[in-house]
Amino acid sequence: MIKTDVIIIGGGATGCGIARDLALRGIPHCLIEKGDYAAGATGACHGLLHSGGRYVVSDAIAAKECYDENMILRRIGEKCVEPTGGLFVRLTGDSKIFRERFLRSCEEIGIPTEIMSSTKALELVPNLNPEMEEAIRVPDCSIDPFRLCMLNMRTSEIKGGLSFIRHKVTEIVKSHGRCIGIKATDMVSGEVKEIHGNIIVNASGAWTNLVAGLAGCEVPLTLSKGSLVITNHRLTDMVINRLRPPSDGDIIVPNEAVCLAGTTSLMVEDPDKISIRSEEVDIIIGEAGRMVPHFNQTRIIRAFSGVRPLLKSQKLDSREISRGFQIIDHQNGMYSIVGGKLTTFRLMAEKMVDTIMNAFNLKRACETAERPLDGQDELSGYPLSKRLSDMKNIVCECELVTRREVERIISQTGTRHVGDIQHRTRLGMGPCQGGFCTFRALGIMHDMDILTAEQSVQSLREFLQRRFRGIRGALWGDQLREEQLVEYIYLGILAMERNK
Amino acid sequence: MSVIEYDVIVIGAGVSGLTAGTLLAKHGLNVALVTTGEPTACLSTGCIDVCSVSENPLQAIVSLPQRHPYHLISIKNIRQSLRDFQQAMTDVGMPYEGSPENNRRVLSAIGTFKTTCLTPVTMQASPQNEDEKIHIITFAGLKDFYPGYIISRHKNASFSIYDAGVATTMGISANFENEAFLEAFMLWLEKQNIREDKIAFPAVLGLESASAIVKTIESRMECPVFEIPTIPPSMPGRRLFNHLKDHFRRHGGVIYWGWPVVGVEKSGRKIEAVIAESQGRPNSLNAKAFILATGSFVGGGLHANRDSIVEKVFHLPVFLPGKRETWFDHDYFSLSHGIGQAGVAVDSDFRPVDCPWDNVFACGAILAHTETLKNGCGHGFALATGQAAARSCLECIR
Repeated sequence: MIKTDVIIIGGGATGCGIARDLALRGIPHCLIEKGDYAAGATGACHGLLHSGGRYVVSDAIAAKECYDENMILRRIGEKCVEPTGGLFVRLTGDSKIFRERFLRSCEEIGIPTEIMSSTKALELVPNLNPEMEEAIRVPDCSIDPFRLCMLNMRTSEIKGGLSFIRHKVTEIVKSHGRCIGIKATDMVSGEVKEIHGNIIVNASGAWTNLVAGLAGCEVPLTLSKGSLVITNHRLTDMVINRLRPPSDGDIIVPNEAVCLAGTTSLMVEDPDKISIRSEEVDIIIGEAGRMVPHFNQTRIIRAFSGVRPLLKSQKLDSREISRGFQIIDHQNGMYSIVGGKLTTFRLMAEKMVDTIMNAFNLKRACETAERPLDGQDELSGYPLSKRLSDMKNIVCECELVTRREVERIISQTGTRHVGDIQHRTRLGMGPCQGGFCTFRALGIMHDMDILTAEQSVQSLREFLQRRFRGIRGALWGDQLREEQLVEYIYLGILAMERNK
Repeated sequence: MSVIEYDVIVIGAGVSGLTAGTLLAKHGLNVALVTTGEPTACLSTGCIDVCSVSENPLQAIVSLPQRHPYHLISIKNIRQSLRDFQQAMTDVGMPYEGSPENNRRVLSAIGTFKTTCLTPVTMQASPQNEDEKIHIITFAGLKDFYPGYIISRHKNASFSIYDAGVATTMGISANFENEAFLEAFMLWLEKQNIREDKIAFPAVLGLESASAIVKTIESRMECPVFEIPTIPPSMPGRRLFNHLKDHFRRHGGVIYWGWPVVGVEKSGRKIEAVIAESQGRPNSLNAKAFILATGSFVGGGLHANRDSIVEKVFHLPVFLPGKRETWFDHDYFSLSHGIGQAGVAVDSDFRPVDCPWDNVFACGAILAHTETLKNGCGHGFALATGQAAARSCLECIR
């Protein structure tokens, strides 16, 4: 049995942020995540570090939080934030009244804006719709959610925090009505670990109510599915928003070599049973195409959905529910933290850890806003010079990942999961979506004795199913053509079957 | 614009197009083939899959769903197309083994067995069960071949690594054409003290003279040697294409290489010409009849828009398997994705259904209801439909 002070359930941005904050305040902790870091809504979002503009008209408090956190994250997370800046684009027919309210609210909160003629905006982003009325510049950024989680966990690791990924909490251990620990099953080996702690933090996002249920508690949530598409290249160097009340498909965010566009907002019941519909894909492309016309002809390489855990509300349109967050004290040693946004994850973590410090009757101020994220020096980043230095041994041609880089990540993390290599190197994130390189990466893992040959084949099989879920919604044009080739390779040339 | 006259123009240089063109050329017609470039055959294993759903390919064909285009051809003619192919390949020095009565197994690069009908002679010794003792030779740095995948299923397999100085499939294959390289390799191989019954290689044993190279290694090592088809670029696929291409040319066929078809000229119920570009310059290729053999999506004959599927040369009607949501199952391994049904439907003369012209024929993977992967009917289907479309075309012209 493992003993610690605080058990964190969930390895999204919130959970990882809490782990870092606890580490910096010297509190022993252990994080449990059933998949990989950022596997839920954190990894299935735009990767937009909001300036606050998006919420400024409807929710001034959330907007102000976003703006403040935006400024903090730029400072502490240089290596995972790209200060792209953002534009709110007003198209013909978009409400002028909304524009006035937008500008006024930004001024009240202190979000800096700059009104631009369409000519000026086109100079900044040549792909924009030349028919637009005007654009308003705001300090939006692009952020890498995987990297963000890993850097937060780096601090936890340095300070001796524990973490178990691919461990699913199956039981909350209670004694005299108090939650005193958890049992978690290793999703790979099936082994069960028992971990005891004084406080349990439930930061499991869309799964919050399911986890709370293990302790006999309830957290009423509205689950809102948001869908996104990824293009095969970067159509804009700035974040593009539509200047109108939040609606479908009105945000485009550049990220490394690609762009993400979305989202939709549909209420769902079960976070484990979501998939993207072709109608959603068409809506997103249509709307994104109104801001950046080229979007209509650009190859979409992936289409997927995430689930936002929103505070339960009577409102029928999930877009009207506050994006603020809430900490729920279940009065039995467990807390749930729900709502919020990727942009405000650090603030959420700070408030959560303040609550924990109170409960422990300890006093130590939060330092997460001042100290740069640990581990940024070790990141390889995306410099081409580095990616091209070993051209002979490129494993992933789309994203230029070398065999050496793959081997380095494997030795460094000891990972047995090809997904971990993907998140750390971008292997398999390009147009073929891992169709060619995953076969190689798993072959390399076997060469390095990380996986047995049987495990490599099984991992490849699971990967192909997982991959297909992500690209199924984007199959037409060249993406369909390439997919047919990949299918021909695995099911035809290699005669792979479903099961052994 | 230059204007060139032929009896028949074939569009597409894959197995079906080359087969159709060769049959017509053999009958003394003036045939030209126009292609954008290398066909998908170059990406294939080079094996001739006739119909892999049961042990006997010809019987398997009989059991296919009624609308499968195989049913438009008599078993006698299917058999004939396979016989002609085997004869042609023997003539060019790359014999194909097997018979249309029996499917056989070929070891894949992942250790599974691929079911096929005719195999290049370099795969003749491929094991037929998981217990055979094989020794795999692989090459340093070859990034698409991992013997571990094979050993996971074949406990009696082991491997050694040779450094060929280059690490690509093409590079190693080219080296094997060099006598000094082959000799140095043989000296190394002889020292490996291989005790297994057979020696396996990824398919890199030479460019065009692979069958001779396999024979050399077999006689020096005194044991059977076979190739394992690799993921693209695939040498056996390339050899198949090159031999079929040479065969077509030897019978007088002309190939316009790298000439994408960008338009057609029509008059009444006839296509008069296709317009093909060479370095941006349009050329009018006139003919009495046209055979469409541009392949499916990978080959580039079909293109999927978000709400429709188009045939790219003549804009022929395409069978659509329903709305986009139904094109793909949720299970990757299902093999029954709706998209496999997409294509150009043809009548018993291999004329596209509802085609506004009388002198257009279609063959190969572009045909509707083929379901190539599910039915394991790749190149065998291309050979049979290529000949069938050519025969109809011949009648049409005469």
